[in-house]
Amino acid sequence: MISSAYAATAGPAPSSGLPQFDSSVFASQMFWTVVSFLILMYLLRRYVMPAINDILDSRGKKISEDLQHAEKARHEAERLLAGYREQVERARQMTATTLEEARIEASAIRDHALEELTEELAKKRTAALEEIERARVNAMAEVREAAVEIAMLATEKLIAESVGRAKADEMVHAALGHLEQNKANLH
Amino acid sequence: MTLLLTTVAVHAESAKAVAAAAPRMDPLHHFQVVNYIKISPFGLDLSISNSVIWMWISVAAVFFFFWYAFRRPELVPGRLQSVAEAGYLFIRGIVDENIGSGGKPYFPMVFTLFFFVLFCNWTGLIPGSFTATSQLIVTATLALGIFFLSIFLGFYKHGLKFLGFFVPSGLPVLLLPLMVPIEIISFLARPVSLSVRLFANMTAGHTVLGVLFFFAATLPWVGSWLPFGFSVVFTAVEIFIGFIQAYIFTILTCVYINDSLHLHH
Repeated sequence: MISSAYAATAGPAPSSGLPQFDSSVFASQMFWTVVSFLILMYLLRRYVMPAINDILDSRGKKISEDLQHAEKARHEAERLLAGYREQVERARQMTATTLEEARIEASAIRDHALEELTEELAKKRTAALEEIERARVNAMAEVREAAVEIAMLATEKLIAESVGRAKADEMVHAALGHLEQNKANLH
Repeated sequence: MTLLLTTVAVHAESAKAVAAAAPRMDPLHHFQVVNYIKISPFGLDLSISNSVIWMWISVAAVFFFFWYAFRRPELVPGRLQSVAEAGYLFIRGIVDENIGSGGKPYFPMVFTLFFFVLFCNWTGLIPGSFTATSQLIVTATLALGIFFLSIFLGFYKHGLKFLGFFVPSGLPVLLLPLMVPIEIISFLARPVSLSVRLFANMTAGHTVLGVLFFFAATLPWVGSWLPFGFSVVFTAVEIFIGFIQAYIFTILTCVYINDSLHLHH
């Protein structure tokens, strides 16, 4: 390129046409163009391109390695997640089972307790009924004895020796039989 | 009468002197190749010129940029390394996209080509520098190299079948005498269009910049800000054009190599 000062200087009269068509400088420029180009190509191939290729290759390798690592980590994470899911599921199932078992057990205990209670109540009732029966029988026997004695005393007093022991028993039996007949009214 | 003639002559003389002293616009001057060191072994002219010097500066700039960016390559790249990697991947994308399978061996060549052209375009924008890619012979050398490479590859990979490249498939036989010469001409035009496109873009852009700078330097201050402002904008445009032209050059190179490798038309 031309500098402004250079452009303004008065030079020799220009030759006709463009200076580029002046064939006297062709040979040297052709030669040096070829030489310069080949030297540049040699320098770039020798010193520059291997460095660029190396760095690009190692970067590519690094990236693909990183990708592989990431993929591996993803698989690992997926595996862990699946494991945790399974654990949670198992825990949930265990909880459900435990709950169910507890429910069954509780219901068994309740049934058992109810049964026992019923049984005991029934036993107590039977015992009470027996007790009552026994008391009644006793009472009956006592009443009978008391009645016999009363009747004996009364008879002794009333008739003194007129009625013998046998006759009195008979009479008491008769009276008791009467009593038995009206047992229902005694209670 | 003699007096009158003398007066006219004196006036013409002074006008000529004024014209000679005034600044003269010569926007093509900076395309002039100047040989600094003359080397001519065996009658070959291998002189070192300003064009060659700036070509070397561009080569050195490309190499040192990449060398510096990758002096300690990191897995997590720094800024400069990111830029260098982006450039590398950009070219790899172009190669993959345009050549596809079997494009790998040509990557170093395409990579070098892109950055060689790009940096030649860009170093040319430094004031006082020289734009090697504004030289038709430089771009033509590159283009011819690619052209011959594509021909060589075509015959190397496909033998004489490569000639089928000039016969478009699916055409009636009657049209072939018309189409085959057209195909051959368009094939031969490839290096021409490739080299002229780059050279013309660079030349045109720098010529416009030269004109703008001339006006910016010679106009009185009331007028000079306008060409100066334009020159600033146009320099930015030139940076963009420098990239675009390097990109186009590279893409077309890939397309030509692909044609030779795969032959589908």
